[in-house]
Parts: sequence; structure tokens; C-alpha cells
Amino acid sequence: MTDTTRPLLKVRDLKVIFGKGHHAVSAVAGVSFDIFEGETLGLVGESGCGKSTTGKALMRIVEPSSGSIELDGTDLTELKRGGRQLRNIRTRMQMIFQDPISSLNPRRRVKDIVAEPLDCWKTISGHERDVLVSDLLSKVGIDPAVYGNRYARQFSGGQCQRISIARSLAMRPKLLICDEMVSALDVSVQAQILNLLEDLKAEYGLTLLFIAHDLAVVKNVSDRVAVMYLGKICEIGPADALYEAPAHPYTKFLLGAALEADPDSPIHSQVLEGEPPSPMNPPSGCRFRTRCPKATELCASDEPLAQEVAPGHQVACHFPLSITRK
Amino acid sequence: MSVTPEKLLVVNDLSTTFATAGGPLPAVANVSFDLMRNETIGIVGESGSGKTVLSRTIMGLQPRTNVTVTGSVLLNGSEMVGTTESFKRGLWGTEVAMVFQDPMTSLNPVMRIGKQIDETLRVRLGMSKQDAKARAIELLELVGIPSPSQRYDAFPGQLSGGMRQRVVIAIALACSPKLLMADEPTTGLDVTIQAQILNLLDELKERLHMSVVLVTHDLGVVATRTSRIVVMYAGRIVEIGSTRDVFANHRMPYTRALLESSPKVSNASHTRLITIPGRPPNLLKLTQGCSFAPRCAYASDKCHQERPELQQADQPGHSFACWNPLPITRGDSAS
Repeated sequence: MTDTTRPLLKVRDLKVIFGKGHHAVSAVAGVSFDIFEGETLGLVGESGCGKSTTGKALMRIVEPSSGSIELDGTDLTELKRGGRQLRNIRTRMQMIFQDPISSLNPRRRVKDIVAEPLDCWKTISGHERDVLVSDLLSKVGIDPAVYGNRYARQFSGGQCQRISIARSLAMRPKLLICDEMVSALDVSVQAQILNLLEDLKAEYGLTLLFIAHDLAVVKNVSDRVAVMYLGKICEIGPADALYEAPAHPYTKFLLGAALEADPDSPIHSQVLEGEPPSPMNPPSGCRFRTRCPKATELCASDEPLAQEVAPGHQVACHFPLSITRK
Repeated sequence: MSVTPEKLLVVNDLSTTFATAGGPLPAVANVSFDLMRNETIGIVGESGSGKTVLSRTIMGLQPRTNVTVTGSVLLNGSEMVGTTESFKRGLWGTEVAMVFQDPMTSLNPVMRIGKQIDETLRVRLGMSKQDAKARAIELLELVGIPSPSQRYDAFPGQLSGGMRQRVVIAIALACSPKLLMADEPTTGLDVTIQAQILNLLDELKERLHMSVVLVTHDLGVVATRTSRIVVMYAGRIVEIGSTRDVFANHRMPYTRALLESSPKVSNASHTRLITIPGRPPNLLKLTQGCSFAPRCAYASDKCHQERPELQQADQPGHSFACWNPLPITRGDSAS
């Protein structure tokens, strides 16, 4: 269960800047959040908002330019790149990627793919290793006796994603970072994977950062949700409360544009006009002000800081929407 | 040749079979439906259900070899099946046009977008260079591209995904088609951009009196934008009816499974999703029974042995193919 007193992961003012000088793009422009032990934090936003870069920076797959990432009290940004300590700590955090087929080597056998982390770290070997691999494959719904010796290329997208999950669990990580892990799958397969993820989270006591663009999917798996726009978090709060009463105008537009599979749902009357500005040249002050109907001069001059509008619900806006519940 | 004037498109017993190394692959089998003027119909299904092959077959865009098409596609009175490419070319653009899924690959990356619109106008309508340019700028404005006369000279790579899709729509509309086929027009676009494009398609349909076939895997896209829906599974229509009937009074278990397995924004977080086991069948190894039977909770012996044909439900125009249909749940009756 969620322990709301002890953050497993503490991220403070994380920045990732690609390129230098005039060509510098700040993909992640100062992001802070906590993930508590046993919870799922959803990270949602449109393409180019920096959600995937945030996920990769946490693993130090891309190098953070500044800020701190504390996992269980150890600051990852202070560890030497490629060093033993970083490699060690990575066993406790694993990542699952969007394209399940390209994230597995097509010419390797499934059981070897799942055993790779164990062989790397030589934690266990021989019979014990084989038993663990079989167990992991059964847990994700792949029969090890029938499929264990097949090659990754012989599986469909949904099955490959199951294999990726089994591989990520081999080292018994505490934190799992899922980057758009179901967006390439058909709905019926997507539902299977989402349910599987919930089951495994409970069984292995996992903490999840779930990055996705699909609002319905994110709400389904998350305890709390953070909304990103142009490299910054504009709103973060408990999933149900945030969806019911968004405080940031951007969140409201985003939710308004989400399509519901219901013929009676209202047709989008208020559509957000235009497109996000380039992250190479972000607007001054509030980054959403160029598209925000409520923007004033204050929004152009001063950057809004995160303020609490309800317990655990923070918004970075000078004029947050009132969140009185219906 | 006469055709009922209200029906723009009549598809009758259409089948598309590909010859593959593994044997004949029936991508589309015995599909029949029709489309009224100024109507939007949605075709939904998962990947491999045949929805894209169906829309391409209606257009007459199948490959030249290794494919057999039988049945009939009557488009505004003209038969599309079995006719020559030059005949079909005469209909493309003016009668029917298509918007494809990926706007980056359907535009030429090294040709200015204005030229790509001009091309259609000059070849199909025989316009002069100046007229074509003026019309192209008009079209860019029509699809909501800001400062169209400057964008005329832009390359596709200089535009965002949403803007590129608008250009593709402008090309499709260049010769005022009566039927617009939109194959996953918003897949790959962000939700806010998706809403813009869907609103644009709706608005253009009304303004230009078009009919639209909206092909998608996303039930949310068709829920509020169509009057009728075709649900496809393994190359066949398994249910067809008014949008309201398909969503609220569906009889085919697959339709229900499709609806229930998609997460909804209105549900509380951690709502358990209802799943169907397995995955869509291999079209090379179809059995003689219902294709959905191996995954269906209601399947009986009959389902595995005999394929159900489409049968009429209690509402006019609503049909389903199932031996053991779901009971009628009439919450709110069709209004």
C-alpha cells in the first residue's frame, strides 16, 4: 500500500537541456515531484512536453543538466556515469519502453532475454536461475515450457510487452518506469497488459512511474497524476480529484479534448486553438500563456510557482480554476 | 444505370483475398453496407480486422497482382470493382478522395505543399498555373492553416503533424469529392490536435455536402462523429447499426468486449478492465465457424462449426452476426 510519508523517489528541479547556445532546447525545464513507496504516479502530456525525457533522465539514460534525483536517499546525479554504483542502483529501477518489438532482440530466445539481468549480475545460476525465469514467464502469462525456447521475433506486440515486463522484474526492482508501454497495442490487448501490471504491482510491491499520452489509460492505473506542458509540470494531484476538477486551464482543455466512447458525451465545444510553442524559444512567464484564454500581463512577466489548492493537489497557475466539487 | 439517389455508396458482398506464400488470405470477406449522401459512417476494428483493406478496396487502391476482389462497389452509380485503373482514375479526386493515416509519408517531403495541391488541380481540373495557385491558397485557408499564402511555399517537414494532416485534407478536398475516405485520420496526433481535426472534418462535411467514411480503431473517435457504425472482426462485419444501437444495444459479444476493454476517463482510477483472452485470429487459419468463437465466453458447439450470418436486430438497420447474441438491454430507447 502507499506509504505517503516516505518518498521512494525524490526529484528536485530536474533539467535536461539538449544542445548548446542558440540551439539549446530545454526538454525538461525544472521538474520536481515525489513518488511514494507503493504508489503509481501517472505522467501525462502531449508529444514534445518532455515526459519521456523525464523518464529517461531518471534512469540517466539521458544525462540531466541539473537538479537531483534521490532514490531511497541516494542522489543518482552524483554517481559516476557508467560506474559501479550507478549500475548497482539501476537494478532497483527498471524501465519498460513503448515499442515492445524493437526493445527485444529478435534473434534471442525468450528465456535468455529474461535471464539476461541475472546472468549479468550473476546473482543466481544453474537450476535456481532456470526456475526463476520460468516463474517470471508464468507470472506474465507466457507458458515457459511451450514458449521459453522460442525467439522474440515469433511473438506479437502484446506478448513481447509481457516478456519485457518479465525481464524488468528479474532483479526485483522497487521502481518501474513505464514509458508509453501500451500505446502500440490494440485495446483488447492493452486491457490485458494494464490488468497484468496492476496484479504484478500488488504482488511485487512495486512503485510505478507511468508515462503516457492517453488520459484514460493514465487515470486507470494511477494514484496521482502529473500533467506536463512544454517541459514543466503544470498540475499534480490525486488522480480522481484532478480529473474531476482540474485547476490548471491546460488540464481542463486536455481533458475536454479526450474522446469518450459514448455517443452521449458532449462534442468538443471548447477546443484548444493552435499548437504548443517551440521548446527552443519558450514564452516568458507561464509557458501556457500563449494559448490560455485567461492569460494577463502577469502571466507574461512572472512565472507561476506551484501552489497548493487542495491537500496534495498543486497547480502552477496565477489564476487557477476554482475546484469546488459538484 | 440508375441508382437510388440517396445512396452514394453501395458495397455488396465485397471480398478481397490476397495470394500469399501461406495460401489465400481473406482480408475482407462478404462485406455489404451502404452510405447515404451527407452521412458519416464509422468502420471500427482492431489491427488486422480488415478495415484498412476494405477502405482501400472501395477506393480501388488494391495492388495490381496477387489479389482477387469479388463483389461490387457502386460509387454514385459507377462500379469500381473489375474496372480499369484509368476508369478509376477518372473518379479519384472528383467522386472519392482519401485521407491517409500518416501525413508524413503521404506527402512528398521534398516538394512544397502548395505544389502538391496544385498538382491535383491542374491534372484533374485542367486549371491554369495562376488559378491553381489561387485555389490552393483558398483550400489551405479552408482547412484552417494560418497565413496560407506563406505556407504555400513550405515543405512538409516545416509543418507540425496536425498541420500536415490539414494539408492532406486540403489535397483530398481539391476536386470537391462526394465521398471522403478517412483512414485513421487522427491516429498519431495529440488529443488537442485530434479534436481540432475531427471538428474540421465535421465542419467541412456540412459545408461541402460530402459523405465520410471514418476508419479507426478508436471507439471514442466514432462515438460522437458518426450516424452509423460498422464493427469488423477478422475481415467480416460482425455488427452494424446506428451509433446509438451499437454503443447501447449491441448484441454481438465482440462489440461489447471492444467497448468494455477500453479505459474510460469517466471511470474511477484503478477500475478493473474487462478483458477478452487471446488475440485476433490468423486469417490464414480461419475455421469454418465464427472467427470470434475461440475468444468468446458465450461460444457453443454451433459457433465453432457454422459461421453466423448477419441477422436483423429489433431496430431497423441494426444487424449482428452471432448465434448466441447478448440479451436486449434497452436502457434508453433510440431517440
